[in-house]
Amino acid sequence: MSLLDKWMESSSRHMARQMGRRSFLAKLGGLMAGAAALPLLPVARGRASNARASAPPEDIDGPVGDPNACEYWRNCAIDGFLCGCCGGSYKTCPPGTEMSPASWIGTCRNPLDNKDYVIWYNDCCGSNPCGRCFCNRNEGERPMYHPYRNNDINWCAGASSQIYNCSTAMVIGLAVEGQPEK
Amino acid sequence: MRLLGASFLAVGLIIVHCTTGFAQVELQQAPVSVGADVDPDPHGISATVRRELGPHTLWVADRLFRHSILFDGDTGNALGMLDTTWSLGGITPHTSHKRGEFYVLEPIYAHGNRGKRTDYVTIYDGETLEISGEIELPTLKEETGHSVALTGLLDDERFLVITNMIPAASVSVVDLEARRFVTEIETAGCTQVYPVSPRRFGMLCGDGTMIAIDLDDTGKLAAIQRTAKFFDSVNDPVSGKGARDGTRWLFATFDGHLNEVDLEPNIPVARARWSLTTDRERKADWTTGGKQHLAVHAKSRTLYALMHTGARGSHKDPGSEIWTFDLDTRERRDTFDVPSLLPAFLRPVLKLPADSIGHKILKLVLPNLGAHSIVVTADDQPLMFVRHDEIGAIGVLDAHDGTHMSDIEESGISGGLMEVP
Repeated sequence: MSLLDKWMESSSRHMARQMGRRSFLAKLGGLMAGAAALPLLPVARGRASNARASAPPEDIDGPVGDPNACEYWRNCAIDGFLCGCCGGSYKTCPPGTEMSPASWIGTCRNPLDNKDYVIWYNDCCGSNPCGRCFCNRNEGERPMYHPYRNNDINWCAGASSQIYNCSTAMVIGLAVEGQPEK
Repeated sequence: MRLLGASFLAVGLIIVHCTTGFAQVELQQAPVSVGADVDPDPHGISATVRRELGPHTLWVADRLFRHSILFDGDTGNALGMLDTTWSLGGITPHTSHKRGEFYVLEPIYAHGNRGKRTDYVTIYDGETLEISGEIELPTLKEETGHSVALTGLLDDERFLVITNMIPAASVSVVDLEARRFVTEIETAGCTQVYPVSPRRFGMLCGDGTMIAIDLDDTGKLAAIQRTAKFFDSVNDPVSGKGARDGTRWLFATFDGHLNEVDLEPNIPVARARWSLTTDRERKADWTTGGKQHLAVHAKSRTLYALMHTGARGSHKDPGSEIWTFDLDTRERRDTFDVPSLLPAFLRPVLKLPADSIGHKILKLVLPNLGAHSIVVTADDQPLMFVRHDEIGAIGVLDAHDGTHMSDIEESGISGGLMEVP
C-alpha cells in the first residue's frame, strides 16, 4: 500500500471515528465533490507516472542541507516551528505530541539530484507552540480554497487536539514536475 | 500634603502560620497609620467601556497573550480587553452596536490545553465586558495563522457565519439574537466568508468562482448562487484577504491584479479585473501581500494596498509601501511609506523616555521591517493603522495624506490581526 493510500485510509478511519456514519458519509461526499472542482494534485501527478525513487540525497552542505534551518530544501512551503528544534525531527513529532492525520503539501527541489519531491508537512499537536526555529516559506503555497496547498490552516484540527506545536517535512514521493505555476 | 493627625485604616493582611507543619492562610484586620485629611480612593471598582465606541477605536488581537485589546486610536490608550483562548492567528471580537455586545468565538478544552473540546460563542456586555452568555457550537471551527475572513457578522448583526474546513468545507450559522446555533451548510470547494447584507455572504472557491449564500429569516440555507469563473486559481490565484466596498468585495491576486466582485445581484458578478501595478512596476516585482493587505475608505472612494517587491512565494511578505487608488477611476492616487515600528516596540522594553536621545538613535539605526496589515477607519477624518505580525506596536497614520501621527506601544507580542469595531 502506498504512502498516499495509507494516509487516505488512516485519515478516513480517523474521521469516521470522530463522527457518526451518516455524517461521515455526507462529509466525505462533500469533500469528494469539492475535490472534483480542484486541479489535479501534484501528488496525483507523481503517482500517475509510476515514478519511484529511493530516498532523496541529504548529504548537502550548508543550511540547504540542515533540517533545522529555514533554508533546508524540504522547507520550501512550510509555515511554523521546525520540529527538529522542538525535540523531534523533520520526520518525527516531539515527545508527547501527536502527528495530525491531515496536512498540506509542497513541491521542493533537491539541489543534489535536481529532482522535485512532494513534501508532506504534518503538524504535531497537543502541546503549546514550540517557539523555536520559526520558518515561513511559501513557494507554491495557495489560499484556503486549495486547502491541500495552504500552510495557514491549522492542520491540528484533524488531530485529537488543535493545539499546534511544530511542523515536520516528510517526503511522500517524487513529483514529475516542479511547481506547476508561478 | 499636611498631616493633621493619625488614624487607623483597616486593610487586609495575609498571615501564614506554620506552627503545625501545614501552612495556614487567614485574612486579618491590621492597623495601618495614615493621614486623616485625605479621602481614600474607593476600593473594588471596575471601569467600563463607553457605550458609543468612537470612530477611531481598534481591536488588536494577540495570539500569545490570548486576548484582544480595544484601543483608542487617537490617544493610544487601552479601553479594555477580552480573552480569546488559544488561537493560531489571534481573534478579534465581533460587535453588535445595537445590542451593545461583543462576541468571541473560542474552542475551550476541559483541562486547559487538553480534555474534551467545546466550542462557544462567548457573549460579553459591551460596557462592563462581563460575560453575559454562551452559545455552544459543534466543534468544527477552522483556524488559520492569519484569522482573516474566517467568521463574519451579517449586516443586521443577527447571524454570525463561521468557516469550517476539516473534515470538509462548510459554514456554521449562529443566531446571536436568539443565542443559538442554527445549522451547518456544506460548501464543497469554497471557503472563507464575506458578508454583504443581513442575509447574504460570499465565499471563494477553488474552481475560480465565488458563491453567494442566502439565508432565510431563520438562518437556514435559502439559496446558493455562483459567479462565472473570474480568476485562475492555479496560475494567478486571488488572495482570500479581501476588502469590502458596499456590496462588492475586492480581492488582489498574487501578481497584483485586483478583482471586483459584486455580490448584490441574484447571480453574483465579477465586475472588473485591473492591475495595481504598471508594466514597469511589475517588472520590478512590485506586488501586494501580507495578512490584511487591502483596505477601503468608502467615503473618499479610496483603496489602500500594502505593497512590497518580491518574486514567487512572497505573497505573505510584509509591505514597505502603501499605495492608494481611486476606487472609481482605478487610478493611482498616492504612495505612503510604512513607518518603522521597531523603535516603538523597543522603547518601552529598553525603558527609554519618549523622544530621548536613545529613542532617536533607535529610530535612526533600526531597520524598517514593514507591515503585514493595514486597516482604515470609516469616518470623515480616517486613521490608518499598520501592524507587523511580530512587532508589538501599531503605527497610526493620517489616512488622507499618510502622515505618521503616532504609535500605539505595547500593543501585544504576536499576530497581525486588527479590526475597527
